[in-house]
Order: sequence, then structure tokens, then C-alpha cells
Amino acid sequence: MVQPTEAELQRRKLVRYNVDTVTNVSNTEYPHFYPGEDHSWDVEKFRNSLRVQFHSSAQFESSFSLIGLDASIANAFRRILIAEVPTVAIETIYMAKNTSLIQDEVLAARFGLVPLQGSHEGIHWMRWVKKPKEDEKLKEPEEGKGGSKDGENQQETSALTDYNTATFSINVECTWREGGKERFQHGESDPEKLYEHSNVYARDITFTPAGRQYEYFTGDGAFKPANPDILLAKLRPGQAIVATMHAHKGIGADHAKFSPVATASYRLMPSIEILSPIIGADAKKFARCFPRGVIGLRPVTAEEAAQGGPYEGQEGQSMAYVADAMRDTVSRECLRHEEFKNKVRLGRVRDHFICSVESVGQFESDELFVESVKLLKAKCVRMKRAMARMATD
Amino acid sequence: MSGQGYAPPTRDLSTLNYEKPVTYSCGDCASKVQLKRGDPIRCLQCGHRVLYKERTTRMVQFEAR
Repeated sequence: MVQPTEAELQRRKLVRYNVDTVTNVSNTEYPHFYPGEDHSWDVEKFRNSLRVQFHSSAQFESSFSLIGLDASIANAFRRILIAEVPTVAIETIYMAKNTSLIQDEVLAARFGLVPLQGSHEGIHWMRWVKKPKEDEKLKEPEEGKGGSKDGENQQETSALTDYNTATFSINVECTWREGGKERFQHGESDPEKLYEHSNVYARDITFTPAGRQYEYFTGDGAFKPANPDILLAKLRPGQAIVATMHAHKGIGADHAKFSPVATASYRLMPSIEILSPIIGADAKKFARCFPRGVIGLRPVTAEEAAQGGPYEGQEGQSMAYVADAMRDTVSRECLRHEEFKNKVRLGRVRDHFICSVESVGQFESDELFVESVKLLKAKCVRMKRAMARMATD
Repeated sequence: MSGQGYAPPTRDLSTLNYEKPVTYSCGDCASKVQLKRGDPIRCLQCGHRVLYKERTTRMVQFEAR
């Protein structure tokens, strides 16, 4: 078995960014590509090479690096985060009164997009609602029928009960404030001073628990809009919005309102190699080709000056070094300048993913990533079971 | 998009009560005006002759999509 050198492995990992081309784009480390090398997939090898590094972890926004895995797996996590982690969102609206400017349909869509926060345990306990098909709608809904979407114990039903539907309501009416009419006649135009409840916010949506929801959704765990200050509509005196709403559990693949993330994305780690020293005025120019903080300047030391070559007589002059490649945007600006020709090699590390997950407010962002790992695992188990069945049939 | 899952209650026309007052809103001063059959169409507050009918209170179902 041939063992490639460390330098060769580094070279293979680097996606090269040249002046007008991007080369070495795809991963080649699979069996039979390099004669004599063993690239068969191995759990132990994967386990040893995989690394996770956290850069920042705020409640709703986190950034971390996944190192040592293929793009297909990193991408699977990203896609699961966006489209398959379940959340609860408003699905049907029973509009009793809407005399606002906003049309019923548009207002309904706005209600649906409000992210709802609630006890995580409770959301996990909630089951799916099976949407009745067009021709089944007229028939009575059947209890506990249908296959399972996620695990065996979660039965789907189209009947609305406490374990699959959360009820919300909104009841706002805009009125004149005390003395508002007089102020209006004196030329006041600030709606806040003239009217009561002229803005309808997400916080006006209130949750009414039912049945076993009292166990899960009480106190801090009660359902509420994750961002209370979302403006839903504007009203003027005499206008009112009265509606009840049903929220169901769903996934982002069905509708974006169920997606728990605002963005979940990754980029590859930039790599900058300075092949021969860039000194003096050139160094300053070189640093300006990159975002701030990527390239640092340091004086040439006495030992380096003693080496001769490009360092000859340059002691104390400033020299460019790579301070923080992660902050680079790989704009390739430095490659446009003649003086840096053949002095720098730009690239991206193929197996280093800088992920960023921003939650819309239902779940903590690091928890979301763990959730996506869990879902991928569940998918693999399902796949494995299907394969086993295929072998026995 | 609208109203497919919900069958609105049907009313028998013969039971309609014409003596029940209906509320309108005045086109000028926005006050509520209650009118019965045969009443002059006129706002009691300001005498404006344009009255608007209120939106029905019948519930409408929408999907948030």
C-alpha cells in the first residue's frame, strides 16, 4: 500500500484559485483513483479525522468549523437544517373580522410566517396532522390512520386534537386615544399619539392551551411568537382584526414558514500561501488587497536579513504575513497586480467547512445542528432497514 | 385558497327578519347608524346621506400559505 506524502495530501485538499480559473475542484480521494493507495471508506478513519471547532455561539447565531468530511455530508446537514427540522407554525386561519387595509389572504400568509416559540419537549410530543386529500375532505376523518413520517409511534391523523393542533387567537381594534380627535384637529399626525392600537404586532397573537397541552405548554414553555415585535398590520380607528388560528407541526420542505433557520450556510476555509517574501511598500499594497485583518505586517528580523536573497539589506522593513486566512473573501484582487506574480498561491481547503447557523428564534442554533445530525442518523437507520429487507425478500 | 374546508351555514330565506335593525357606518362621520326597513337613509348624527354596509361577521377560513 502506497502512503502519499503530507505535502501531496495538502496539495490534493486545496482548491486552487488562479487569475481566471478555479482548478482542482473535485475530491479525488476515492478507491482506484490513485494506484496503490487505499481510499476505501472506514468509520475509524472518519472518526479520527473529523474535527468540530466552534468560533462563536450566541443563542440564535453560531459559527463553527467542520473539518475532515466530504462536501456531500456537510451539505446534507445544511439541507436538513433548512428543510427537515420540524417546527410549529400557524396553518389555518378562521377570520371572523378583518376591516384593516390588508386583504384576508395576505394577512393570513403573514400570520403563518410568524415564528412560534414553545416548550421543546412539547413540540417533540406534538404529532403530525395528515392533510386530507381533496376527495376525502367530505368524509368523516378517521382516527389514528395512515403511515408514519417520523418513527413508528407518531401516528398521523387528520382529526384535529390537542396533540397535533395549537389554537391561537387575535382580537385587536383600533380606537381614538383620549383627546386624540382634538390633537388631530391641531395638526398632530403621529399615530401613536392619536390612536390606541394602531399597530398590530406578533405579540397580539395569544395561545389558548387545550387538553394535555396544559402539561407541556405552561409558564415559560407556553407558545408565543419568538419575535414579539413583528409588525403584522396597521389600523385606523374603527378597524379591527378578529381571528382564531390553528398551528400544526411541519417541515421546511412543505413550506418555508416551518423552517427553523433564517440561514444555514457554509463556505470553504480560504488558504493564502505567500511563496516568496513581500517587503516594504509592496507589503502595504498587498495587505490592502485583502479584507482588514487577513494580512498582517511585521518587521524583517536580523536573522532573516542575514539569510540574504530577497531579504538582503531589508532588516526592519515591514513584511507581509498571513494573520487570519479565515476572514478572507477570496476576492483574488492580489492576483491582478504584476508585482505579486508568482509570489502568492490562493485556494480553499476542500474539507474545511465554516458553517453558520442562524435560528429564527424557536430553538438555540447549536441545538439545531445537533437536531440535524439526529435526523440524518434516523435517515441512515431507515435506509439500513430497507436494505436489510431488500436482502431477505 | 379560501373557504374550501368550511361549509358556510345556509339560511332559509323565509325566516329572514326584516324588522331587525341593521348597522351601517356613516360615510362622513363614521358613526354607527342603525336602520330598520322603511327608515330614511340618513345619518342621525350629521345628516349625511351616504351609509356603508359593514363587512359580514361570517367566518372565513384561510390557509396560511
